[in-house]
Amino acid sequence: MIVMWLLLVGVPALAALAVLLPRVGRHAPVILTTTAVITSAVALIQAALPTTEPFFNGYLRGDATAQLFTPAVNIIYLGIAIYLRARVAAEGLSRRFMVFALAFLAASNLALIGNHLLLIWIAIEATALSAALLIVRPDSPASRIASWRYLLFSSVGLGLVLLGMSCLTRSMYVDGQSPTLFLDQMGDVVKGPANAWRQIGVGLVLLGLATKLGLAPMYSWLPEAYDEAPAGVTALLGAVQFNCVVVFMFHIVHVYRAGSGDLITGELLAIGLASVAVSTASIVATRNFKRLLAYASINHAGVIAIGLALGHGASYGLLLYVLSNAFIKAILFLTAGKIESHYGTKDTKAIAGLIRDLPYSGMFLMVGTFALLGFPPFGSFLGELLILSALVTSGQMFVFAAFCMLITVSFVATGRTIFPMIWGEPKQERTWPRQSALAALHKLIFLGVLLVLGIYIPPQLNSLIERVASSVGGAGLKTP
Amino acid sequence: MSPLLIGYLGVILVPLFVASWRLSLVGLMGQGLLLAWISYRLDPAVDTVDVWVSLVDFVVVRGLGAPIALYAVLRAQRASARNDVMPPNLMSWTLAIVLVLVAFRFADLIVKAPGDDQTFVAVATAALLLGFLVLATQTGPFSQMMGALRIENAIALFELGGPHDQEGLGLRIGQTSLVVTTILLFRWYLHTLPRQAAAKASAVEGPTS
Repeated sequence: MIVMWLLLVGVPALAALAVLLPRVGRHAPVILTTTAVITSAVALIQAALPTTEPFFNGYLRGDATAQLFTPAVNIIYLGIAIYLRARVAAEGLSRRFMVFALAFLAASNLALIGNHLLLIWIAIEATALSAALLIVRPDSPASRIASWRYLLFSSVGLGLVLLGMSCLTRSMYVDGQSPTLFLDQMGDVVKGPANAWRQIGVGLVLLGLATKLGLAPMYSWLPEAYDEAPAGVTALLGAVQFNCVVVFMFHIVHVYRAGSGDLITGELLAIGLASVAVSTASIVATRNFKRLLAYASINHAGVIAIGLALGHGASYGLLLYVLSNAFIKAILFLTAGKIESHYGTKDTKAIAGLIRDLPYSGMFLMVGTFALLGFPPFGSFLGELLILSALVTSGQMFVFAAFCMLITVSFVATGRTIFPMIWGEPKQERTWPRQSALAALHKLIFLGVLLVLGIYIPPQLNSLIERVASSVGGAGLKTP
Repeated sequence: MSPLLIGYLGVILVPLFVASWRLSLVGLMGQGLLLAWISYRLDPAVDTVDVWVSLVDFVVVRGLGAPIALYAVLRAQRASARNDVMPPNLMSWTLAIVLVLVAFRFADLIVKAPGDDQTFVAVATAALLLGFLVLATQTGPFSQMMGALRIENAIALFELGGPHDQEGLGLRIGQTSLVVTTILLFRWYLHTLPRQAAAKASAVEGPTS
C-alpha cells in the first residue's frame, strides 16, 4: 500500500518537526521510541504484502529490496531508540539530538524506498548531515574533530557519487538514449557495450560509495568517528546508514553488471581485499575495544565488497551476511557503550570478568563476538561460507587464499583481545546495580534474528532474500 | 562560452598561488558567480522555477552565502591574513600546473570533437583535481573546507556542461537545501574547531579513556 510506504518517511519527519516545539519536545525520548515502533510495524506489514510498482511520479517504489531492508533497518533503529531513551539522562541527550535522530530515520527510509538515483543520493547525504551533528558530544573536543572528518569524507565520497552519476547520464546521451536516473527505466536504456563515460561513471560511483562504507583506501574517518560518537550513534552509523549505502550499491550493480561486469568485479575485489587487509592489521594493533569493533566493521565491509564483486552464486550468502552484520553491529556497539559507561575506559587491558560484573553485557559481548567471527549457528557463518564457496567456484583462488589467511589472523586477534575482557578475574572490586532482562530485551530480539538467519529461515523471508539476490546478480539458495 | 570557462580556470588557479584566506574566499565567490553566468548562457530563458532555483543556488548560496558565512567567522576570530591553500613551494605549484595539463589532456582523449563540451570537461576536471590537491595537502579546517567547496563547484560545473536527466523541481530544491545545510555546518565547524584539526590523540589508536 502506497500510503504505508509514505508513512515510513512521513512519520519520522513529522515527529522531528514536532520535537522542535517546546511543549512537545519535553517528551522527545518517548516520541523517538513511539516513532520507531510505528515505522517498524509498518515495515513488517509491508514486507508481507505484494511489491508496489513505482509511485509518487515514479520517484519511490516498494520492491523486494525495500521490503527486505526496511524492516531490518527500522527494527534496529527501534532497539537503538530504546537504548537512547535509557541513556538520555546519563548522556544528556538534548532535544536537538532527538530532532537529528528522527531526521536521520526519515532520510534512511527514503533512501531505501527511492526509485531515482538522485533522490537516493539526496537522502543519503541528508543522513550524513544529520549524523555529523549526532557524533558531537558536548564534553569532547575530539568528537568535534571526528565529526568534522566524518562530514569531510562523506562530502567528498558523495561528491564522487554525484560526479559518477553525471558521467552515467553523459554515457546515455552519447549512446543516443534519453538520460534517466529512474531505476526501473535504466535497465532499458543501459544496453550494449560500455562506453568510456559509463566506465568512468561506474568507477566513480563505486569509489564514492566505498568511501561512505569505510572501505579502503578512504576509510580513515571510520575508526575515529565510531570511537568518538556516543554508542547509540555508532550503532546508527554502522547498522542503519551502512545498510542504506549498501542498498544503493546494490542498485548500481544491478543496473550495470551486464555491461560493466569486469570493472565492477575488479574494483570491488581490489577494494574489498585491501579493506580486509588493512582492518586485520589494525585489529591486531589496537587496545581500544570500540576501535576494534570499528575495524571489524571495515573488515565486514570488505567481505561485502568481495561478495558483491562475485555476483552469481555469492548473492544469497552476501545478503545473509549483510543482514546478520547489521544486527551483530547493533548488539556490539550498544553493548560497548554500556561497558564504557560503567568502566570509564575503552582499554581492553583494563577490563576483565565482564560475565560476572555485567552478566548481560558480558553475554552479549561474548555472543556478538562469536557472531562477528563467523561462528555457527549465526547467519554470518552461512553467509561467509557461501561467499568463500563462490570465490572458489569463480576461480578467484588468490583472493580466496588471501581472504582465508586474513580472516584467520583477525579471528585470532579479535578473540585474543575480547575474550579476556569477558572471562578472567575482575581488575577491581565493583558493585553494579543488577541488569534487568527487560533492559536487554531489544538485544535479545536482535540475537533471535541472528539465530533465525543461521538456523531456519522462514519460507516467506527466504523467498524475499532469493528475489533480492537474483536482482543483485545471483541464483538463490533453495531450502530443502 | 570558452572565455567564461577560461575565466573559471583563472579563478580556481590564482588563489592557489597567493597565500591569503580573503583571496581564497574571493575565488570561491568568483566560482559561484561564474557558474551562474555559465548557467544563464546555456539557458537564457529564465522562465521556469527550476532555472531560478539553480541561479539562486549559484549566486546566493555558492557565490555569496558560502564566502560571506566563512568570512564572518574568520574575521571574528581575527584570523591571520596568511593562509596557504596549498604548500607554498615550487613542487606544489608545479603539481598544480601539471594537474591542469593532465585535465586538458584527459578532455582531449574523452571528448574527441574540439569545442565547448571539451573545454567544459577540461576545466571541470582541472577544478576537481585541484580541489583534491588542496584536500590532500592541508590539515587545517578552513583549507579543507576550501578544498571540499572547490570539489562541489567543480561537480556543479561538470553537470552544467552535460545532458540533464529530467529531474523534478523537488530534487533541485533538495540539492540546494543540502548545499545550504553543508555551508551552515562548515560555518559551525570553523567556529568551534581548533585551527589545526589534527587530533591530539594518535589517528590510529585514539584515546582509550
